[in-house]
This record gives sequence, structure tokens and C-alpha cells, in this order.
Amino acid sequence: MNTDPDVVWELFAGHYFMFAFLASLGVLQVAVSNVGTRGLWLTPHAGMTRWLGIAFVLTGIAVFFLQPLWVDGPWAAGSVEADSLTRSWGKASWSELAGARNVNDIHGGLDGIKQAMWFSLGAIAAFAVSAVVGTLSVNIFASAENSGDGDQTDSEANGLAGLESRSYIENLPGSFANFRADIGGVWRSGLVKADRWSLMNVLFGRGGSSE
Amino acid sequence: MNSIDANIVIWLNALSGNVKLFDDLIRVVASDYLMPMVFSLAMFGLWFSGKNPAERVRYQLTMLVGISALSISNVVVWLFNITWDRPRPFVEHGDQLNLLFYSPTDPSFPANPVAVGFATATAAWTINRKFGWWMFAAAAVYGCSRLYAGVFYPSDIIGGAIVGVAVYGFTSYLRRFLEPLITGFVRLIRGLSAA
Repeated sequence: MNTDPDVVWELFAGHYFMFAFLASLGVLQVAVSNVGTRGLWLTPHAGMTRWLGIAFVLTGIAVFFLQPLWVDGPWAAGSVEADSLTRSWGKASWSELAGARNVNDIHGGLDGIKQAMWFSLGAIAAFAVSAVVGTLSVNIFASAENSGDGDQTDSEANGLAGLESRSYIENLPGSFANFRADIGGVWRSGLVKADRWSLMNVLFGRGGSSE
Repeated sequence: MNSIDANIVIWLNALSGNVKLFDDLIRVVASDYLMPMVFSLAMFGLWFSGKNPAERVRYQLTMLVGISALSISNVVVWLFNITWDRPRPFVEHGDQLNLLFYSPTDPSFPANPVAVGFATATAAWTINRKFGWWMFAAAAVYGCSRLYAGVFYPSDIIGGAIVGVAVYGFTSYLRRFLEPLITGFVRLIRGLSAA
């Protein structure tokens, strides 16, 4: 390897985060458009949101695998072989593009743990962007569209169910209040229903029912 | 058994070098990034895909078990690896193989990426049969691409698939010992309007 693995790792981490962010944003949009979770839609229309989601996923894949054509990295033309030992720094050629990303993690590629970490950050960022844009979208566009079916709104609904009729910002206080109100009961009934060898029952006594 | 294994990988790998476009496609599919991203996105998507509150909770609990199974399958593969240091095909038959992938330094059996793929696919299959079969197909294609590339034996792929499915089953069973922590965690995420 003719390049520093730490430099390669930093480059891969940035590229992978962008890949995870775009692809997660796309999948999230497809999923929420299918089930009507309007509070997370990037556009006011389900069909448009779904197609935008598919476009984000394809863009994420294309950018990640085509990036070596215009970004310098451990894939200089002429140095990309099956093994990543021979790499030099530079831009890839079309003929070697398919193998450009195949860099061993000991040479700066991302191992499974690092991928899991960057994917989680990308997915959280995708959710945050959807929540912010969805809030704007609901406030700007959806009020007129929803005026006819206001009676169908379940004011008790929280979590993702609440996002079907409210923006994230409107939904959050009620959802969190419900969590605080319910969690004690959920915990106690969960302990009762849990296996007698459940970790919590072992630590705190059988089902809490004796108290 | 070893010779059958070797003959299959040598035969399959001998098909490479004829159609560059196909070899390039295999290089992309076999990469460390595309298929693991597909598995991760499948779990992320299913998290949000429940059509009503009950279905949503079922999906989300299953996805948490799937993510745990994915992690535990890595540990199980590592335990196999420290028990049996099986050399990779390109180490034993390097002169007969056209390596399309970098040379991994960890043992060959069982195939870690396949174990992860099958653990995820089993999680998806338990909540949506049709989608689950597609995920199994994706995991199988991922395994076959590594076979074609010359970095796994067929028995590594089969072993990885068995590990993935078995670990998912074990993790589902294990879940009962972690309740009500897991349900409480989903409720917390719901409190943050993300579940």
C-alpha cells in the first residue's frame, strides 16, 4: 500500500456517511410514504415523496461507487488490482472503477463496526432532516389538504402514529408526555409477563408482584 | 469434501475473465459496502413500515432482535475462527484462481458476510414472507459473488447461512430474558416520535 491507511480511512468514513445518509433518507421516504406518516414526508404528496426516496437511494449508490472518478483516493489509475496492497493515490479510471472501493480494512477500508457506527449516524441524520423538512411541509402545505378530514385525527395517537396527522414538532411533546405517563405501567406489567429468568426479574425479584 | 469444495470454487472462478462487465458487477456486489448497506436499509425501512400501531411494534421488536442477531452472529463467526483457522481458497489454490477481491486475512469458515445477511433476512422473513425471501436471495447472491471472486469455499457460504439463521432463532429466544427492557426501549423511542 503506497498510501497512509489513516488517510484512506478518513476518506472512506466521509464517503460512507454520505452514502448511508442519502440511502437512509431515500428508504425512509419510501417507507413513510407507503404508510402515510406525513410528518416525515419531504414533499406534500405521497407519490412524489416515494419517487424522491427512490431517487435518493439510487443517488447514494451512484455517488459512492462513482466518486473515485473525480475524487483522489487509493485508486489511482493503473494501481487498482484485486488486492489493495498495490494502490496509489489519485483518481480512478473507468476500467478499474468496479474494484476501486475494494480496500481491505487493514489498508484503510471500513470494518463492520465502523460501518455500523457511520450507518447509525447517517440514519439518525436522515430522520432529523425528514422531521425538520416534514414539519415545514406539514405547516406550509398540509393544513389546506387536511381540512376535510380533521375528524379522523386521533389526538391520543403518539409516536409515528401521531405523525400521520401532525408535524414532528407538534407531535413530540404529547408523545414524550405519554411515554412518561405509561412507562411505569409498561415496566410493571412487562415484569409480570416476562420469563421468570428474565434479567430484570432476577435482579429485582419475581415479577414485582410480591410488592 | 475439501476437494469438492475446491473444485466448485475453481470451476466457478474459472468463468471470470471472459465478460469484463459481469466481473465488474461481481466486484461491486462482493464489495464490503453495497450488500451490507442493503441489509441495514432493509431493517431501517421495516422499522417505519408497520401500517398500524400493533404491526409497528411487532416490526420494531423484530428489527431490534435482528440487529442483535447481526451482532451476535459476528461473535459466533469469531468463535469459529479462533477454533478453526481454515485457509482461504486463494491461499491453498492461488495458482488456479483469478482473485477478483482483496485478500482477506481472517479465516475462511464460516462466511461472516453471509451470516450477517442471513440473520437479517430471517428477521425480515418472520414479519413479511415475500420481502424475507427477497432478502434471502440478496444474501445468497452476496455469498455467491464472494465465491466467484475466489475468497470463500461453498461450505463457508453454507456454514455462514446456517450460523445466521440459527443465531436469529437463538436471539429471538434470548429476547424473553431481556424483557421488559426491550419493550421499554421501543416505548422510549416512541416517546421521541421515532417509533
